[in-house]
This record gives sequence, structure tokens and C-alpha cells, in this order.
Amino acid sequence: MTKTLLKAAVALAMAALAGCSSLGIKPWERDILARPEMALDAAPVDNAFDEHIYFSREAAGGGKGFGGGGCGCN
Amino acid sequence: MQLKNPQCGPGLRAGLIAASCALLSPATRAQALPEPEAGNQVDAGLLYYQEDKGRVRSVDAIVKLSRDFGDERALSITAAVDSLSGGSPIGAIASRSVQTFVSPSARSWNPGGGGDDDDEGRPYQVAPGNQPLVQDFHDLRGALDVNWSQPLGVGNKLAAGAHFSYEYDFLSASVNSALSRDFFSKNTTVGLGVSAEFDQIKAVGGTPVPGSDYSQLAKTRGNETKQVYGAQLGLTQVLARNWITQLNLSVDKGSGYLNDPYKILSRVDASGALLGYQFESRPDNHARRSVYLGNKVAFGRSVLDVSLRLGNDDWGIDSQTVEARYRFPLGARTYLEPQLRWYRQGAADFYRLYLTGSDPSDSHMSADPRLGAFTAKTVGLKLGVGLSGGSEIGVRLSGYEQTPKVRSSTLAGLEGLDLNPRLRAAMLQVDWRFAY
Repeated sequence: MTKTLLKAAVALAMAALAGCSSLGIKPWERDILARPEMALDAAPVDNAFDEHIYFSREAAGGGKGFGGGGCGCN
Repeated sequence: MQLKNPQCGPGLRAGLIAASCALLSPATRAQALPEPEAGNQVDAGLLYYQEDKGRVRSVDAIVKLSRDFGDERALSITAAVDSLSGGSPIGAIASRSVQTFVSPSARSWNPGGGGDDDDEGRPYQVAPGNQPLVQDFHDLRGALDVNWSQPLGVGNKLAAGAHFSYEYDFLSASVNSALSRDFFSKNTTVGLGVSAEFDQIKAVGGTPVPGSDYSQLAKTRGNETKQVYGAQLGLTQVLARNWITQLNLSVDKGSGYLNDPYKILSRVDASGALLGYQFESRPDNHARRSVYLGNKVAFGRSVLDVSLRLGNDDWGIDSQTVEARYRFPLGARTYLEPQLRWYRQGAADFYRLYLTGSDPSDSHMSADPRLGAFTAKTVGLKLGVGLSGGSEIGVRLSGYEQTPKVRSSTLAGLEGLDLNPRLRAAMLQVDWRFAY
């Protein structure tokens, strides 16, 4: 089931990329996205602790980026 | 271009620095914005983690220093220290009779024999009905991350990072790099990143022979190694004035010594009576894939952060993760953020809660609960308070519960025993952000 979902997600990503040119906003419309809490990594401490806890107690990990890892706990 | 909104002073600058020094995801820039003024920022945090039933307790500290040099050039240095203690499941199941184990570092069953201190090699007993744990382990881990990012030509950005961590029995070093490019007036960013990790495992007391009889304590001297190579393709897209989405496709492949040298399995007969124990034996290759989809959507001054991650690997483990955080303001500088996370994973093909007489002793096997099937839920609440000068203090309280799919056996000798107990943990975090 997960493999099917993965394939669907990849297909969706490709379709999304193809449609990207018609998406988006103008430079002067970035006021909301410029707010600190709208940053994709607005809470680096929360994310670092979460990544470490879940990495050491679950089989899956990562996905957001290359941070963390390198721990003998898993 | 400089943003001249007077309401977006130090706070905005702090956020921009945080964004520019984010984890080295290949594509995190579609959002990126007017260049911030050069400056420094510190993100610091302290975490207290406590599992129930006398299991693991840890105190973790992290400090991240970010420096923005302007022109989209940014450096971040992160230092972390973790102190762990308590008891960790050894992999053996509970029994109706007293069970005897020896500290993981032991090379013999004689008290004090073969170890580097008096405790090593000393047997200890686990009461009937209790989950066997590694007794009173202590571990200290230090880690250092350095990341740099800068433009590379027009519309491109290069990021590079290095990581090093140290434990008494484990060393890890890794490097990573990502190249990303903006499209469509910076509404779209596409990036590709690669990483390489090199680990050294120095099991205390020697490395057990995988699959060998636990009673023999057959161990080899010398260090083991493993390597993990990864790649990530990322897409970040601004969908609307209040909505940004991120999609990452990740793969990694590990090889080398992938066992946990301290984990064993119980072997029972057809009636459930204990026959003995074996050290675990995992494959020496492990390939993983995942798809991550994250979204940030603003509703007025509130922000919804919702993500989905799907993964699978060649050990037969599939996983699904859904996470949501909703930040809503309480006054001008204070906010509350409820956090929910749901996770499910299937079991590895070679996972066994215990071995029976008919299970071969020379195949791959592990009773590590982290390779079994379970669901996990996290519920948390964060309170953030803004201070003068763009500083912010946060307090977060969370609860984590992991419920294994298989917890019991129909074998007569094991009936009524909790063979795979539920894990519950509480976490208290305090964090502080300030610019200087």
C-alpha cells in the first residue's frame, strides 16, 4: 500500500511541478510569508529535539532535511 | 530589496535568519524574502525526557548560533549534549520465572570478569513478569553541526554542512551538500542534496557474534563500521499569499554493521518454556525511501503547520506519519501551539517477539521493539512569549505513547504476560531565542 502511495505522491509531485508556473504570488504580496512563524524551520530547537527523540525510538526518520542522525541510539 | 515594514523589525530579522539557516533541505527558499540585515541569532533549548516504568531518562541541551552575513550568505553552528540513564529493553521477553542476565559489556559470566570495571560481567536478575532491561546504563553524547549556505550564480544557492557526534561506544561523522534553484519569481525552488555518513561502533566489552548463543558471550574485539549515503530531491512552492508547501523525496542506503550489539532475543519451546537467548542478527544492508509533504498556512495571525510522511525500506518496514501544529496568538506577543503527531510502522521481515524451537538460528532476527509493528501518538502544547528586542521564550510539554501491535502470546507458558509493553514518555522543553 505504501509503495502505491509513494508512486502516487511522485506522480503528484511531477504534476505539481508542471503546474508551478501558474502558481505563486507577486513580490509585493509576500508580507504574510515574511512573518517569522511562517518560516519552514521556524522552530529549530523543537525540530532538533523531535528528530532526535523519534530517530532513537522509531524505524523511520528524516524527510525534512539532512539534520541530526549520527547517534548510536538506533 | 529591503522590506521596510516597520512592524517587522527584530522579530522578522530573527525569523529570516532562522529560515536561512534551516536544516540543509535542498529546497527551502521559495519563501525567501527580502535580504535581512547581517546579524547573529541564538536558539537554545533544554529538554527533560522521562519514560515510565523506570526506563530511559535523558536531559538534552542544544545551542544553535546563526550568523547572517547578508547577500544570502549564512553560517550556523549547533552544539548538543545528551545525557541518558535508566533502563532500555534488552529484547528478551518477560517470563514466569526469574531470569538472569549479565551487563552488556561482559565477556564472561564471572563477577567482574573481563570487564573494564567491577560492574562489568556481573549477573543481574529480572523478576517474573517484568520486561528485561539493560540495567542502569549511562551514556553521554556530544554533537556538533556546522552549516554554510551562499548564492551560486543568479538564482542558485549552495549549502554544505558537516556533523560530528561522540559517544563512548559510537562515533559518527557526516557531510552533506545541496544545490537549489529558484523559478517563477522565486515562487518555486527545486533542490538536490546528497549526504554521506561514516560511523564507528565500539561496543563495550566487544562485539557479539550475530545470532550466537547469549550464554556463550561470544564476542570479537575491534571496532565495527557502517556507512550511510543519502540523497534528497526537494520542491518548495508558494501556493498562495498565505500558503507555502514543501515536498521532499529522500533515499538513503546504509551498509556495514547495522546490529544493536546489546540486543538479544528469547527462545522458547512449543509450550512457551524458556530455552535460552541469542544475540540479534540484522542484514548488513538497509535502503530506505520516504516522501515528505509539509504545509504552512496562515489564517489571520494563526498558523497551521501540517505534514505527511510516507516511508518504506527493504527490511519490510513501511511507515506513515501525520503531524499538525496550530499556533494561535494570545495577545500581541504570546501564543499557544497545540501539537499532535500520529505515527505507524509495520514490522521488519526478520522481527520476532521471540524465537521458537522451529525458527532457524542462523537467519536474520531481532526483537528490538523499534523494528516491530506499533503505533505512536504525541500530544503537546507549547506556550511562547515574545520579549523585547525580538527575543522569545517557549515552554513545551508533550506526552508520547507507543503501542505495539503484538504484546502477548497464545503459548501456554506465556499466556497472561505482557511481552511487549506499551511505552509512555513525558517531555518538558524550555527554549530561548534572541538576536544580538
